[in-house]
Amino acid sequence: MSNQSQSFKRLTGSLTFQKRFSMTVRLIIALFLIAFAVFPVIWIVSASFDNSNSLATQNLIPVQAGIKNYQRLFNLDPQFRFGDLNYWRWLWNSIKVSGITTILNLSLTTMAAYAFSRLRFTGRVTVLKAILLIQVFPNLLALVAIYVIIFQFGEIIPALGLNTHAGLIMVYLGGSMGMNIWLMKGFLDTIPRAIDESGMVDGASHFQIFWTLLLPLLRPILVVIGILGFIGTYGDFLLARILLTDVDKYTLMVGLQIFTAGMFDKKWGVFAAGALIGALPIMITYLSLQDQIAGGLTAGAVKE
Amino acid sequence: MKRTLFFLVSIMMIATMLLTACAPKTPVATQPATDVPTAAPVGPAGTLVVWADDTRAPILEDLADEVLAAYNIELVVVLKASLRDDFQIAAPVGEGPDILFGVPHDQAATMVANGLLAPIDLGDKADLFVPVAVNACTFDGQLYCMPYATENLGFFYNTDLVQTPPATWDEVVSVGEALMAEGKVTYVIALPGGLDYNMYPLWTAFGGYVFGKNDAGNWDDQDVGVDSPGMIAGVQFLADLAAKGDIPTDFDWANNHALFETGKAPFIIAGPWALDRIRQSGVHYAIADFFPAGPAGPGSPFAGTQGIYINAQSENILLAQTFLNEFVATEETMQKLYEAGKRPSAFIPVLETTADPDLLAMGKAGANATMMPGIPAMGAVWANWNNGITLAVQGTSTAEVSMTDAANKIRNVIANPLTGMVNVPGSYQAAAGCAADWSPDCATTAMIKGDDGLWRSGPFTLPAGNYEGKVALDGTWTTNYGSDGKQDGPNYTFSLTAAGTVEFVYDEATHLLTITVK
Amino acid sequence: MTATAGQSKRTRATGESFFSRIIRWILIAFFDAGAIWFIIQALTLGFDQIAIVLGIIVLMLNAIFLWPKAYPYRWMALGLSFMIMFTIYPMVFTLYVAFTNYGDGHLLTKNQALPLIEKITYLPEGAPSYTWTAFKSADGNYALWLVDAEGNTFLGKPGEPIAAARPGDPGIGEADAKGIPASIAGYERINALVAVTDQNLPEILFGAEGAGGVKITSPTTASALEQRFIYDPDNDLFVDQSNGDIYNNVHGTFTTKDGKTIKPGFREVVGFENFINFLTSPALRGPLVTILIWNFIFPAVSVLSTFALGLAIAIMYNDKDFPFKKVIRTLLLIPYTIPSVITILIWRGMFSPEFGIINRMIEPLFGWAPPWTTEAFWARAAILIVNLWLGFPYMMLITSGALQSIPGDLYEAATVDGASGWKRFTKITLPLLLVAVGPLLIASFIFNFNNFGLIYLFIGGGPPIAGASTQAGYTDILISYVYNLAFASGGRGVQYGFASAISLVLFILVGSITLVQYKFTNMWEEVSENV
Repeated sequence: MSNQSQSFKRLTGSLTFQKRFSMTVRLIIALFLIAFAVFPVIWIVSASFDNSNSLATQNLIPVQAGIKNYQRLFNLDPQFRFGDLNYWRWLWNSIKVSGITTILNLSLTTMAAYAFSRLRFTGRVTVLKAILLIQVFPNLLALVAIYVIIFQFGEIIPALGLNTHAGLIMVYLGGSMGMNIWLMKGFLDTIPRAIDESGMVDGASHFQIFWTLLLPLLRPILVVIGILGFIGTYGDFLLARILLTDVDKYTLMVGLQIFTAGMFDKKWGVFAAGALIGALPIMITYLSLQDQIAGGLTAGAVKE
Repeated sequence: MKRTLFFLVSIMMIATMLLTACAPKTPVATQPATDVPTAAPVGPAGTLVVWADDTRAPILEDLADEVLAAYNIELVVVLKASLRDDFQIAAPVGEGPDILFGVPHDQAATMVANGLLAPIDLGDKADLFVPVAVNACTFDGQLYCMPYATENLGFFYNTDLVQTPPATWDEVVSVGEALMAEGKVTYVIALPGGLDYNMYPLWTAFGGYVFGKNDAGNWDDQDVGVDSPGMIAGVQFLADLAAKGDIPTDFDWANNHALFETGKAPFIIAGPWALDRIRQSGVHYAIADFFPAGPAGPGSPFAGTQGIYINAQSENILLAQTFLNEFVATEETMQKLYEAGKRPSAFIPVLETTADPDLLAMGKAGANATMMPGIPAMGAVWANWNNGITLAVQGTSTAEVSMTDAANKIRNVIANPLTGMVNVPGSYQAAAGCAADWSPDCATTAMIKGDDGLWRSGPFTLPAGNYEGKVALDGTWTTNYGSDGKQDGPNYTFSLTAAGTVEFVYDEATHLLTITVK
Repeated sequence: MTATAGQSKRTRATGESFFSRIIRWILIAFFDAGAIWFIIQALTLGFDQIAIVLGIIVLMLNAIFLWPKAYPYRWMALGLSFMIMFTIYPMVFTLYVAFTNYGDGHLLTKNQALPLIEKITYLPEGAPSYTWTAFKSADGNYALWLVDAEGNTFLGKPGEPIAAARPGDPGIGEADAKGIPASIAGYERINALVAVTDQNLPEILFGAEGAGGVKITSPTTASALEQRFIYDPDNDLFVDQSNGDIYNNVHGTFTTKDGKTIKPGFREVVGFENFINFLTSPALRGPLVTILIWNFIFPAVSVLSTFALGLAIAIMYNDKDFPFKKVIRTLLLIPYTIPSVITILIWRGMFSPEFGIINRMIEPLFGWAPPWTTEAFWARAAILIVNLWLGFPYMMLITSGALQSIPGDLYEAATVDGASGWKRFTKITLPLLLVAVGPLLIASFIFNFNNFGLIYLFIGGGPPIAGASTQAGYTDILISYVYNLAFASGGRGVQYGFASAISLVLFILVGSITLVQYKFTNMWEEVSENV
């Protein structure tokens, strides 16, 4: 029936002064933390309005302020107009690829994590250890190998080949059995087994226990892992860069890389502009999902 | 019953996968439909895929319409961020573009060694290209790129602060220090890093170099000049300035450019890629030729060449070549490439009409430029060289120590050209025609692998006598096998009672050598 | 634990319904049919490795779905399949490459390299060479107008000897400004670019076979080029037709006795050579100890600092009714949402000792500022600060999620017992939190252990270590050190084989450390069993 904040309130309810004091202190700390978090980003904002296209960190107000970088980003610079260059398309591609990957990834990992947490079977520890070990492997040649795999897939089923989002998503799913399983298993481990047992008494199958009893409890952490996975996929450019070859298939990060190609004429200003706009969808999503993260059910509520 | 739900979910997941797999097909199917009215009614007669960066791609896209209209050839232009790296992954699989547009010549050496590039024939347009640029694109006597621009550094000075450009490096210091004393500037000269490349005109003014050249005029990667007396003197010159506080100790590229642009440093060495920002900053400047520091003569910058390449695995090599000759090696396209890239054109008709005084001045400053060595060994140089300079200029060690150190590190990693050689060095070698006995790198006695996997050499005709020998790999003594097949084992011995011949057979599995005397 | 196991046995014992079994078999049958079709396709196209990997996956899936005892694996079947294809197979590839000379100069397979070498041509002495202009007849036949070096003109048609011809001759039109006839009877003059769109054109022999016939060899030249190198498959060697030189296959490069080579080389298995090279390379005599120590300090401090800050934020702003809570958390997430490629560079600029904003703020206050990029200690401090900035939002997210799953009644019980806030934190929150995020801390450690991107982008591993025998800096970690050895400063260019061998050696090292750490996660797991 109760949750942390309620118990916290009960504890401090009478001490309004102390509560206010602690809140004020925490707000002041928050200001410092936000300053720390945001300060470098201000320079990125400044760079995005700097027509000289450099990342100099001398002056916050750019000497040659202007919106040239944004014009270039949105393909409005007449000198560098390029037919396929479409920032919004890239943004949409990124959201689409990361969204699908995240949903599939979550279903794959949550189910696997359930088995690791709740079932005892031969090879359980070995597979868990293997997953951990695989993360350590410095897979220098993964790019080359994956490129060949996807190329060959595409020769058989073109829809899964190079330059398709499906192929890219498939490769991302290849990493789904990674640390997220450990993470999810860790959370499942914190959920008392009494809950499962109450289900088993009713004769529920594993799947019913998983689906009806545990999944609702996992909602906050599903959201958290979902967001982390989304950001991870969203920010990848190494795999996407070599697997996607059409400019209109590019994801945001691959598209932005175009502007940092030159040895001495990297257009960091354009990159900064694109990165800032690209960060907005993530922040909006996170802001809107906050209630989901905070509003998790507690064990007490379930028991009833 | 309960399991069905489990399976249903599995099916749904697989279905989702399949759906995502199918999704990209839809746009592919619909897009051409909307494009058809503008395209030719029949498919294009040929297709060329070009990878280019964001500066050149728009120019090629303009060409695409023209080529399609005139010759029904479809030009697919793809914007790429890291042209060379992606090309090295895609081309071996057969998935690379037909044409790779805009990679500096010094990056081409490895692509040539990897067999990824097709030779280029400029045909009757060969005379229209700047000879130095064509040279830069030539590897092993074969042309592998069509050059479109050259680039080199120039010496910029602030005309508000300095009326006449300095004639020696000592003058740079005296003029700069005078301005510092007047409080007009903070530093004698701005130093955008890496200092290795960007201060090359200083190193060469003192007589420094990176690689020497052999008699044939090719780069000799066995002659490393990073610790040559001139290089050390140049680095020491800079270190002395640093000790006096005359130069910044932070070589950040953008910040040092800002020093010059805001008048805090009267001099800077910069490339054509910085022209735009220097012009926009409003600083009054002029570009001067490089000058000497001593008897070694005026310093010279590195020169680079930007080129266009053809994929060796392309099915349209001839078409790609003809396209380049007909559509890119034209005054119109080359002029556009020049305007977009702000580099002196490698195409003579465009270069001759170039009116931009800055680019002309840069071209003059680069008249004696050294072409950047286009050899793989250069990869071993950069970081070590730069670290050596940095350590000396920051005062961590002396120029002599740090540069010698750097050069030795470079020599350590540069490839031994004889890797793979199997040889039988021994006391018979001089008689067999080698320069000296016991030389593991003598080509005359090097072994050749037969179809049975055994290595053979000889027969060698030798006078009577007792001889010794050993098996050595890679042209050095580092890996050698003795008569017991063990590494560093004892020598083999053999003797000829009369003049005769000797043959060697070596088994790399057992490391044993069979000697047959006749 | 025993209860769970017993439970699942009972469920299995009750058996599965007939309906679900049929569905399962039908599904498996469909899947197998599709998979076998795919594998056959792969084999016909010569993609043997992929076919083998797919075969393994199919066998595994069949076993999992047909064998009741493998039931728990059904929960992870799809994930395992993807993992085998896209994670484990590339690892096996790396393992294989470690025993080859794959890399610059040996990038292609032998099957790819041989045709390229066979394509190399030469012009034998005295062989004809002309510049060409193409003519095409209505039924698609070509004729070439040929001009030799002296300016003599000829007409070449397939199968007929090349004959001298002059503009104005019968059937040949008048010359244009370049001396080329505008027309030839029965043929229409075509532009070179149009001509070469016909991919067959280079194959057509103009003139008689073996009697001065020529082929189009470049945009302007038609000549009787001949194949320069002829392959002898029995002896695995090439013979140079122009001078008789013999090129033997030496470690994936065709080489003459005196060291002349044919490009390109190709990939060959070289046995343990890469490992021997690494173990005898200057890399191991280099400042390896300095780098190793830092390689453990860096991830350890990074994990602890990010976790501490992330957890502190999660706890401080966890109350439902805390003002601006959502905004505060969203603003604190910002470092995680912007690509680190650019933020690391911004930080490098800010830490610039001479121009950076950080020192320009510190110096007026203290009259001294740290030499962030030039001295080992400060460079390391700077990189840890940057990593704290990059990493704390991640920990904040994870721990705030984890805090939700800690049962509230535990707190109540503790409150009743009169436990203080700190005691509740150390006795209840932290242990339970570690159950959930413990593995993650290890993952984070591992990630930072190999955090090449940050080290490389920040100051490239600098400041350099003076007097080291190889290129190394004070902030270098193993992976950036290896990168420098195998890629950036490799005198022979990129050497995948060598790099793979090094990464395998590193894997053994790091893998054993990981397995030791695994013991800790095991410990946490036991904690949870007792909840």
